[in-house]
Amino acid sequence: MKLPALALFERALRLETRSLTFCGARVGLLAIILLILLPIQTMARVGWYGAPGLHFLQEMVWVNLVFITLAGLSYFTSAITEEKEEMMLGLLRMTNLNPVAILLGKSTSRLIGALLLLLVQVPFVLLAVTLGGVGLHQVAAAYVTLLAYLFFLCNFALLFSVIFRNTATATAIALLLLFLFFFGSYWAAGIERGLASHYRSDLQHGLWPAVTKTIELWRRTTPSERLGIIFQTGFAEPIICFQVVSDFLMGVFFFLLAWALFDPCTREEKDAAPARRWIWRRTSRRSRIPQGLIGAAAISWKDFTFVSGGKIGLLVKFVVVGLLIALCNIIAVETDSTLTRQFEGAALIWISLITTAVWLALEASRVFKDEVRWKTLSSLMTLPFSVSHLAYRKVAGVLFGTLPLLAYFVIGVMLVPDKVGDFIGEIFKEPTALGMMLVAIFQYLLFLHLTAFLSLVLKRGALPVAIVIQYLGGSFFLGFMSMFLVFAGGGGAEVFPFFIILICIVLTGVLHRAIGFRLVRAAAEE
Amino acid sequence: MSDSNQPIIEIRDLSHAYKRQLALQGVSFSVEPGSIHGFVGPNGAGKTTTLKILATLLKPQRGTVRVFGLDIVADYKKVRRKIGFMPDHFSLYRQMTVQEYLDFFAAAYGMDVAERNRVVGDVLDLTDMAARRSDLIKGLSRGMQQRVSLSRVLVHDPTLLLLDEPASGLDPRARIELMEIIQELRRMGKTIFISSHILSELALLCDSVTILDRGTVRYSGSMTGLSQSNGEIVDYLLSLAEDHPDIESALRKINGVVAITKAGKVPQYRVSFQRKQTDPNTLLRAILESGAQILGFQEIVRQLNQAFMDLTEPGVPPMINIADQEQPPLPAAVPPGGTS
Repeated sequence: MKLPALALFERALRLETRSLTFCGARVGLLAIILLILLPIQTMARVGWYGAPGLHFLQEMVWVNLVFITLAGLSYFTSAITEEKEEMMLGLLRMTNLNPVAILLGKSTSRLIGALLLLLVQVPFVLLAVTLGGVGLHQVAAAYVTLLAYLFFLCNFALLFSVIFRNTATATAIALLLLFLFFFGSYWAAGIERGLASHYRSDLQHGLWPAVTKTIELWRRTTPSERLGIIFQTGFAEPIICFQVVSDFLMGVFFFLLAWALFDPCTREEKDAAPARRWIWRRTSRRSRIPQGLIGAAAISWKDFTFVSGGKIGLLVKFVVVGLLIALCNIIAVETDSTLTRQFEGAALIWISLITTAVWLALEASRVFKDEVRWKTLSSLMTLPFSVSHLAYRKVAGVLFGTLPLLAYFVIGVMLVPDKVGDFIGEIFKEPTALGMMLVAIFQYLLFLHLTAFLSLVLKRGALPVAIVIQYLGGSFFLGFMSMFLVFAGGGGAEVFPFFIILICIVLTGVLHRAIGFRLVRAAAEE
Repeated sequence: MSDSNQPIIEIRDLSHAYKRQLALQGVSFSVEPGSIHGFVGPNGAGKTTTLKILATLLKPQRGTVRVFGLDIVADYKKVRRKIGFMPDHFSLYRQMTVQEYLDFFAAAYGMDVAERNRVVGDVLDLTDMAARRSDLIKGLSRGMQQRVSLSRVLVHDPTLLLLDEPASGLDPRARIELMEIIQELRRMGKTIFISSHILSELALLCDSVTILDRGTVRYSGSMTGLSQSNGEIVDYLLSLAEDHPDIESALRKINGVVAITKAGKVPQYRVSFQRKQTDPNTLLRAILESGAQILGFQEIVRQLNQAFMDLTEPGVPPMINIADQEQPPLPAAVPPGGTS
């Protein structure tokens, strides 16, 4: 006899078993394993790698960890939010399904699918033992670590899926807290040392040992810490360790919490609508679009205001990046570094570049997606402009939103103009350095295009999938080019960066055209 | 350029397919300037595809579509300036206020601040939404969102309005108010091409109509022509004071009478005859000669819903499989503008 609580769960599993997407994902995964294996084996044959099995296992496990963290997070956080966004949760609740049945059906079925994706790799990854440099015990320990982490992540994401109304917010908050989960222990340890040093306290006395122990336990719950231990030579610890148990227990705790919060958080069904963010509502009858912004320029205004956050958004970004720089200074002071003009300049330049890169990636994932999602593309596409004109104007609006970040960059350059001049001089003196810098720029442009394109193709998770594709694509390409160089006798390495640039330009061009076609198609399909 | 006698919309032999499913097959019709043209058909008949082609969102795969005499593929930018397309989902930026939304579209159509302020006020007055201009669109009812969408369509003063199911999901009051706005727009000289399932309201509103079924046109022409569209057979309703035993035989003797059916319990007969062979006077004479006492004798005018039922197939119409057609396969759908 079937349990009502398992009805949705069973249905989800049945659908997943028949789903071509999941079969394709499994086949794709095997292809990735093969593509990772091939260059490693070639390198090992010519003696570049001493322990090819360990190298292969490390590559596989880290790719899995990144993929689970990024793609898995958006996959799991959408479990309940997608029902809220489609206004279907109320209908689900009207059936005989109780909260636990909905949670099992919507989330645990996804967990099973993801676990199967991990398990299907195991027979192939065992090849690492044959390749040498790693033992069966290490392979088993690494995959048990990943399984425990996946269980934790699924239920952690489920909690945010229950609490928040849309997938984007749930994913953003969950990602931020996950970032703290991974790196918070290192910062906490730094702050602890800084405080102890500031107050001249002995870490062996008072409350300090308890604080130190807590931070250490926190660090040991992270899979990255555990994997670092597993990959050490002579690893002989038990497979079921503190990380496995703690991740499993935390997973159970988050599931129970999601269950407890399900009713209060989902009782009221609200119409899903795009967020207005930081824009104040005005009651004025006058136009708020500046005089000069007419025609296609009005589209830039719209995207600057309603996608990038407008003038208040500029201020918020300026303050947030300013706080990051201040934090950087505090850490520098705590670690006894001297605050010099060079340090400030470097901090401003790097923080502004990193935040700009992150912000643009986020914007690339939603600048076109939001129009498709909220079915507004058809009204935009009946304006008297070509699709490329529309798309470029939208991008211009988003780029305008990065002005405060670039302002910090300019300030940074003004603080250390001599260093920046030296850096540019060095770059132009050394063709390889120039090539590598151009590679980074063109790879990033390719990444933005890939993200924007995937956002028009995939229902969710365009950004994490783009990160994984770019990472894997880059790794494979480098691997295969290295193989090629090995067979070619090691010559031609100097043209290598320019070859990568050429490939990036071609791929970017293809994606550029593809985005245009997808936009036109999406407008017609609304 | 178009002249005043030229049809606003002129579609000739239009065909369109989605993958292997033919959505439109040899569709031809035209719409006169200043008219309200109804576009009706069962679900899946191809109405929305036609509207999207007219709105330049889809490129016709075969045939020609001219709007204001302009080719919708070659002159898509000019066409877009002259049309206003309101899709069935309204296409609203729901995080904006009504004012911001209309202001944005007015600016996108190239209006300066002063013109925008005037135009936005005018369209809001026309759609009776002036009091809600500072409200967030997401907080408005469906009827009000539909008015905001209609306001957006009007903001650049287009000559042709393409409205896809504008009344779907609206309550009766909102529907009646929408119809009043549409009539007002006609008085302002706009041509309105409206697709709807609410036939009774279209019948009152439209000057002409096109009935589409399974991708082909079943009827296109004036509303009056629709009442006689099944050829030369005319129906009259004969009401008698009391039933008369010889009435049927008396009428059947007349050359051209094709059917006599008793309608209801009261002595009423539906008399169908061929217009070319006889006329109502001959019939009246025969009825009087038979000794029957006449209460009424009037033509039954076919209403739009009756025509719709007669001209379209029952049930859910399947799309035509392109493989069954003799014509060569249609090229892939690429909307005008492409990615240039």
